[in-house]
Amino acid sequence: MREHIIFYSVVKKYFIELKRYFLNTLMTMIGIFILFLLVFFGLRNFEAGTDTLQGSIVGFAMWIFAVMAYSEMSWGLLQEARDGTLEQLYLTPSTFRRISAYRVFGSFIFQFLLFVVFLGIMMASTGQYLSLDPGVVLLIGLTLLSIYGLGYIMGGLSLVFKKVQAGNQILQFLFILLLVLPTITDHQIIYFVPLSWGNHMINRMMIDGLSLLDFSLIEYSILLANSFAYLIIGLFIFSLMEKTAKKRGLLGHY
Amino acid sequence: MKALDGLEKNADKVLTVKDLEKTYPQWRKEPTKAVDGISFTVDKGEIVGFLGPNGAGKTTTIKCICGLVEPTRGDIKIFGMDAIKNTRRAVSNTSAVLEGNRNIYWRLTTRENLEFFARLHGRSLKEAEPEIKSLLKRFDLKDKEEAPARKLSRGMQQKLALSCALIRGTDFLLLDEPTLGLDVKTSKEMREFVKQLTSDGGKTILLSSHDMNVVEDVCERVIIMNEGKILANDSVNNLKDVFNVHLYDFILEGEPKLPELKEKYSVTDIKYDNGKTKLRVSLKKPDSFYDLVNHLQKKDVKLEEVKNLDKNLEEIFMNVIEKEGVVK
Repeated sequence: MREHIIFYSVVKKYFIELKRYFLNTLMTMIGIFILFLLVFFGLRNFEAGTDTLQGSIVGFAMWIFAVMAYSEMSWGLLQEARDGTLEQLYLTPSTFRRISAYRVFGSFIFQFLLFVVFLGIMMASTGQYLSLDPGVVLLIGLTLLSIYGLGYIMGGLSLVFKKVQAGNQILQFLFILLLVLPTITDHQIIYFVPLSWGNHMINRMMIDGLSLLDFSLIEYSILLANSFAYLIIGLFIFSLMEKTAKKRGLLGHY
Repeated sequence: MKALDGLEKNADKVLTVKDLEKTYPQWRKEPTKAVDGISFTVDKGEIVGFLGPNGAGKTTTIKCICGLVEPTRGDIKIFGMDAIKNTRRAVSNTSAVLEGNRNIYWRLTTRENLEFFARLHGRSLKEAEPEIKSLLKRFDLKDKEEAPARKLSRGMQQKLALSCALIRGTDFLLLDEPTLGLDVKTSKEMREFVKQLTSDGGKTILLSSHDMNVVEDVCERVIIMNEGKILANDSVNNLKDVFNVHLYDFILEGEPKLPELKEKYSVTDIKYDNGKTKLRVSLKKPDSFYDLVNHLQKKDVKLEEVKNLDKNLEEIFMNVIEKEGVVK
């Protein structure tokens, strides 16, 4: 089995497409950055504390990360169906789930690079400097697993129902709520919803200067259980929807 | 012999479909039966044509074969492997072009598409490169190697889609309407190439088309489908024989009296006009044509003109569809 060749082909294609749409990608980034500046200076005008301002930088960067990761799964799938290439991805010696995971991996690399660049620009333009421990990659990766799980759920739903864009927009706003949840409540709910607990740990690392060793085993266990639970549920629902789409002959429709 | 992947690549039967049925469930509506218990096989090295009007069940059958649609009932075996239970393994030696010029990435260049699909099937670039070069040359895509697929003409996009299916290096090809929307020249090129694939490349092909000329020109055997059922499954020549389609118009000088012709050669119509005789003859065997010409010579009847009125596949197709079940 030459799975590594298939992996390479999917990741390479992802980067080729990004390059081909460089201007579009750049414009999106500039738009997001302007939105960030509005949020940040808006908060500063309300005389928010340093922690809040720094939290807004981390939160905003994580929000972009989450939205992009999630869109990659749900919107990417719909785009393939629209282009007529989705069915071709099923005709490989690998599985479609693996192929979509490879694409997610490619997008994670790109989004992380973007995260670092964005964070640098945000810190430089706001004068608020954060701690950048390389270990934060691990926390971001684990936190995003829950988002990929949600992406698989919406991706699966889009295979069957096609028009799920409204749900995508609602989720994007829901992500904001999930990201700020730990700052407005210490209720146990933050252990069970996606994104919240992971973002809380990332905040402590980047704002309070903690390292990976400063977190307890229980804190890691909560993060792992939360992320993998959402990922497994996501994969399960995706499989169910994939089966339904094959039963109804909807795989290539858009 | 089974290979490591469990496929019997040297088996005589590349595809075996048995009692295949597909009913699409509908929300608050009666389910639609798209394929109704069909059975057929495709032998190694054959080009088999699927012919039928819209909604006949051709595309559903093809999609069931490659695991994109789940059948309601029946068995499908590809290279001896159960394609319903082990879809991924069974289709690992199969590629498909499903809707003309789609199937390719419009944002990628011609070369990038070919490289992507070769690797997607686990082939290294080193392994696929000679074939990429050969396909670019064969389909006149060399000049467009670095052009994004969206900027190619429809014909070129379709050639690229077929090339992308071929670069996967599989032995079995499913082609759904491969010449749809192509101009006459490109369609001809495509047909020639498809024929070469089995003669030189050892591929086995199942092809669906609305275009009778394509099926007649390219395929050795044709399966005629309508309303989910197979109405005919035979070689193009046999189908022509079944429908006894050797029809001729003989124009003779004068108005000779030839009563024996009516019995011996099934003359269906005689017309006399301006000192000429027009005979419409229906011959059971093509050889009878020469017997008739000899007979006329012996009787000193001068032959002015002969018109061959043989039916083409299109007429046969219409005949089969109209007389459903005649050649089951």
